[in-house]
Amino acid sequence: MSATESPPLENAALEEAAYGDERLAYRGPLLRLLTRPEIGALLGAAVIWVYFWLVSDVFGQAAGAANYLDVAATLGIMAVAVSLLMIGGEFDLSAGAMTGATGMLVILLVIPPGEFGGAGLSLWVAIPLTLAFALGVGWFNGTVVEKTGLLSFIVTLSTFFILIGAKLGFAKLFTAKVIVEGLDEGSGYDFWVKIFGAKWTRNDHIFDGRDTLFGFLMVIGFAAVFFGMLELSHTRRERFNATGLIVAAAGIAGALYGVWGLRHGFGFVVGASTDTVGSNWLYAAALALGVIVAAVGIGVWRFERVSDRGSFSLSGTSLRNIAIALGVILFGSFVAITLDSSSEDIVGFMLTVQGLRAIVFGFGAIVGVTLPVLVARKEGKRSPITKFVVMTGTSLVIVGLAFLIQSEATSRKFRAEVFAVLLLIALIFFVAGLMPLLFQGREAAHPAADRLGKMLAALGIGLFLGAVTIRLLYMTSEEAAATQAVFNYRISILWFIVFAVAASLVLMRTKFGNWTFAVGGNKKAAREVGVPAARTKTILFMTVSVAAFLVGMLLAFRLNSVQANVGNGQEFLYIIAAVVGGNLLSGGYGSAAGGALGALIMAMSFQGIPFAGWNSDWRFLFVGVILLLAVLVNNFVRKKAEEAE
Amino acid sequence: MKRARWIALGIALMMILAACTSDDGTDTTAADDGTATTEDVDLSQGADLTFHMVTHADDGVFWSVVKRGAEDAAAAMGVTLVWSPSFNDPEKQVQDIEAAIAAGTDGLAVSLASPEAVGPAAQAAADAGIPLYTINSGVLQYKGLGATTHVGQTEVVAGNGAGEFFNSLGATKVLCARQEQGNIGLEERCQGLEETFNGEVVSEFIGEDVDPTGQEATISSLLLADESIDGILGTGPNVAVRAVEACVTAGRTCSIGGFDISTDIINLIESGDIAFTVDQQQYLQGYLPIVLLFLEVTNLNTAGGGLPILTGPGFVTTANVGEVKALVDAGTR
Amino acid sequence: MTAPLLEMKNISKRYGNIIALTDITTYVNSGEVTCILGDNGAGKSSLIKILAGAHQQSEGRLFVEGEEVMFDSPRDALERGIATVYQDLAVVPLMSVWRNFFLGSEPTKSFGPIRWIDTEAASRIAKEEMAKMGIDIRDTEQAVGTLSGGERQSVAIARAAYFGAKVLILDEPTSALGVRQSGVVLRYIIEAKHRGLGVIFITHNPNHAWPVGDRFLILNRGRSMGDFKKDEITRDELIMMMAGGAELEELTKELESASAGDEKLADMAEEFAEELEELEERAEHPD
Repeated sequence: MSATESPPLENAALEEAAYGDERLAYRGPLLRLLTRPEIGALLGAAVIWVYFWLVSDVFGQAAGAANYLDVAATLGIMAVAVSLLMIGGEFDLSAGAMTGATGMLVILLVIPPGEFGGAGLSLWVAIPLTLAFALGVGWFNGTVVEKTGLLSFIVTLSTFFILIGAKLGFAKLFTAKVIVEGLDEGSGYDFWVKIFGAKWTRNDHIFDGRDTLFGFLMVIGFAAVFFGMLELSHTRRERFNATGLIVAAAGIAGALYGVWGLRHGFGFVVGASTDTVGSNWLYAAALALGVIVAAVGIGVWRFERVSDRGSFSLSGTSLRNIAIALGVILFGSFVAITLDSSSEDIVGFMLTVQGLRAIVFGFGAIVGVTLPVLVARKEGKRSPITKFVVMTGTSLVIVGLAFLIQSEATSRKFRAEVFAVLLLIALIFFVAGLMPLLFQGREAAHPAADRLGKMLAALGIGLFLGAVTIRLLYMTSEEAAATQAVFNYRISILWFIVFAVAASLVLMRTKFGNWTFAVGGNKKAAREVGVPAARTKTILFMTVSVAAFLVGMLLAFRLNSVQANVGNGQEFLYIIAAVVGGNLLSGGYGSAAGGALGALIMAMSFQGIPFAGWNSDWRFLFVGVILLLAVLVNNFVRKKAEEAE
Repeated sequence: MKRARWIALGIALMMILAACTSDDGTDTTAADDGTATTEDVDLSQGADLTFHMVTHADDGVFWSVVKRGAEDAAAAMGVTLVWSPSFNDPEKQVQDIEAAIAAGTDGLAVSLASPEAVGPAAQAAADAGIPLYTINSGVLQYKGLGATTHVGQTEVVAGNGAGEFFNSLGATKVLCARQEQGNIGLEERCQGLEETFNGEVVSEFIGEDVDPTGQEATISSLLLADESIDGILGTGPNVAVRAVEACVTAGRTCSIGGFDISTDIINLIESGDIAFTVDQQQYLQGYLPIVLLFLEVTNLNTAGGGLPILTGPGFVTTANVGEVKALVDAGTR
Repeated sequence: MTAPLLEMKNISKRYGNIIALTDITTYVNSGEVTCILGDNGAGKSSLIKILAGAHQQSEGRLFVEGEEVMFDSPRDALERGIATVYQDLAVVPLMSVWRNFFLGSEPTKSFGPIRWIDTEAASRIAKEEMAKMGIDIRDTEQAVGTLSGGERQSVAIARAAYFGAKVLILDEPTSALGVRQSGVVLRYIIEAKHRGLGVIFITHNPNHAWPVGDRFLILNRGRSMGDFKKDEITRDELIMMMAGGAELEELTKELESASAGDEKLADMAEEFAEELEELEERAEHPD
């Protein structure tokens, strides 16, 4: 008997096992994007921004951004570092106390040796010494955790208490007070204050061409994202059809003509102060038609015709969902029209009439639009024509809502900006329904198309960010004359961005990043293949300490004094931010960008509450709800994304 | 429970450190305050006495001065002081009171920030015949508990004073910015402000002292959201300091007042950025109870005549800031 | 004939006064699969640890390609081309396929002072290597946790093969898997063998060992029950030896005596007896 004559049963099992269920359905780049851990946080941040933008007049402006970015920066630096550590499977409860400790230490090292002490060192010596101290604490945490095998939770809790005790003890020992001050007395202050204490005063940077540049970048960015999305979601033709290119060019020209005409009326895009969208129908129509023609043109040029349009049909569930959607929209609209928009009468449970109206209408609109989109997605897999009909219907509903808002709302923001944004969304929905009807969707990877699509999408998003940054950094002379407020962007924001980007790159693109995931996900397996697990974790602890050092310096150079209790207890906010950002508490999964977004969400929530005029007593309730929602959404997204289709 | 024990350990460490440093400061005060005669008479008695001061104190600027006052008084009277801060944890405070009774304390001073929780334990001490004083918080409860008197400031009265000050500054709408949530004392300061202030008062929690930059951002967002606010009362010294920068950010000129004293707030009053601070002279809240306890134990004196002994409000304004500053630097104001 | 890839001669292992292995001799050639069979406690894990370099034998000699070796550490074994894939520790489930594949030996390219992982190369190589094993991983960004149990093992196997292993030691790769998934893993073992690797396949399941093995070493209580080439033994003999015929008989008797009055146990005892008879019959008359 030889190997080839083994019983037929086993051979059959082998064959089937090898070729049977091991193939996976095609998942496009867009769907794969949803598996990124930070995607839930990104959506959450967008939702929270939109929410506070709607309810507050200041939040959506540069003043609001300066405000929440300030809070997000220091929180974010720590949240990013804590995220890395959490991915590596550990916690650091001493992180909050460390921020105050490093800030205090640098001041103690710098102030002159007087009655009570102080080392009187130059900042050139004091800052490296403080950094060394921070690295030492991180090394201590990491080494103790690794050598003893104790939970990092317990070890760093001890460090936390040691630090708060030491902070208080040494502050009193050297200054007889619980606050140390006088950083600016140190030599080298003039240099270091530029590194840790600089600020960008928006009022001092006037750029009158700002809005033109902003609009220009936004339009190009939109076009790039739009083209990129089309490229990612359709099947390429074997040979391109030049006729389509001509059609596309015509469409683009039409769209640009529309944008040009709307540049004053399209308040959202260029921030103009007029409320005249309604009087620019010609341009609006040119824009809409232009976008549609451009999309179809690009399709004719590059994509294959659809092979099977299917026939129109809706399952029972889909019909029910659409009925529910129409129901809530009609009810919401009815409420919006009947109730008094300015009434502050209480209807119960602290809710005013206008508040109730906003909630019912908002809820109706969101549910009424989301449900049909889900239906279109589900039915669209079988029948593009059904998708087209449902999406077109939805976009008509959105147009209706836009006009309802314009006629009912009193504020300029709703009449112009919300109105314009809704029309734009309706247009995108219509195109999203139209394209599958005409062109073949993608069912297989296409490296060249994927690369181009991703590149364009990234370029577009880069342009959006650039446009927004320019808008935030500069004032027009008109604005400068009208405001007394002084907007400072602290250098902490820059540090935050640099730190977050660096951490992301390290995590995703270096060996060390790979090892971080591995030691958090399965330490034994990591060791087995030669990953230096102990060293990796120790470096992660040291990263958190360095982040705390950075935040400590930012605090010290900003306040010039540091009180002993500063930072104590903040570590929980860092951990919450990391979790909100989609990092798994048990380690092995997450992203640095998620931590940064989590911090942004927390900062926007904290600062949005006073902007919205709510009583701040609700602050922690809000944070709790956000944390819960974030964890639920992350959980849901991850499960959805990992489901083998 | 573990946490509480950890804190206790940390405190013990700090106490040792603090004890080392406070020696040089105490000598001068002891000589000045006229208690030398008592000391002469009862030196032998005093040396054996141990008084417990069980408070809801934290590590902040405020309580460090109370502690300093108590330490100075203890040194002057020649008694032993046991300082037990509970970091706003009523449960720990109750345990500390029970521990003090069990240790056979000669006298007890208690702060009643959480009267419901801590009151019964304090009453048990009084019932056991231990001389009891309430300090800082507890002006409404001290009689019921059997305390001899209360040494402190009533928050409402202090708030009243601030309200009148804002009237004189011509403010129309004042933000009462609180650094703690659910602290009745801070709420009462705002309530007192509302009682005497002629304009409108908005009371908001703006984040805790451990996050100073967050406090600043929150105050400025409140200012940006409500353009009619032209005055800010910080219910603590740090809040008032943060309010200065927040007003600049929001592009406002605001009248700013604060509560209690810190080096920063004194400097800003000196520079004119802050108009005033309500000083409850907390050094007295540490110093007086020790003296009163000493006199009650050794001489059967009961001060107060059934009324609370108020340590404030005193005001620090541009007028007197120079003199106060020197004392603040010495750590006694 | 060239020397075997890995050869054990009279290996014994004692832990204090406990004798874990006595006098084990077998070998594996390039392009062959040697199966080590045994029940729990038979000494399989001690043997793996010696081969993997985690422990040292008390007596006996190890040869790699004819050269005598003594492994001081797993790294030593790895350097001699002996890679061990442990059952549960093989991969990090939350990490993507390519990250797992290259974990610990990431390909890098320099850009300025920093060395970045060459993600494109890593992704491509992982895909190719998996394809050589017969698995079409369309998306190497997919988390390994979403793969089936068999595929997960195969990632570890493909990885070991790619990183220059000459001998693969697989510790119970099929024990936690269902029938189909076990089939997947067995297929990769055959693939590895065809690629010229020597495979030591440790299992307690003779049904898994039989179709892939060229050589069978049966362990029982630390002793070799025999070391057979495939043509020296039949499948049923193998099963019989594995089940430890004498022991099964004993168990049957025990069950019978214990089951007096208990129907269920009595039924079980009957079943055992039947099975035993059948096995004996088939061993005597191979088909």
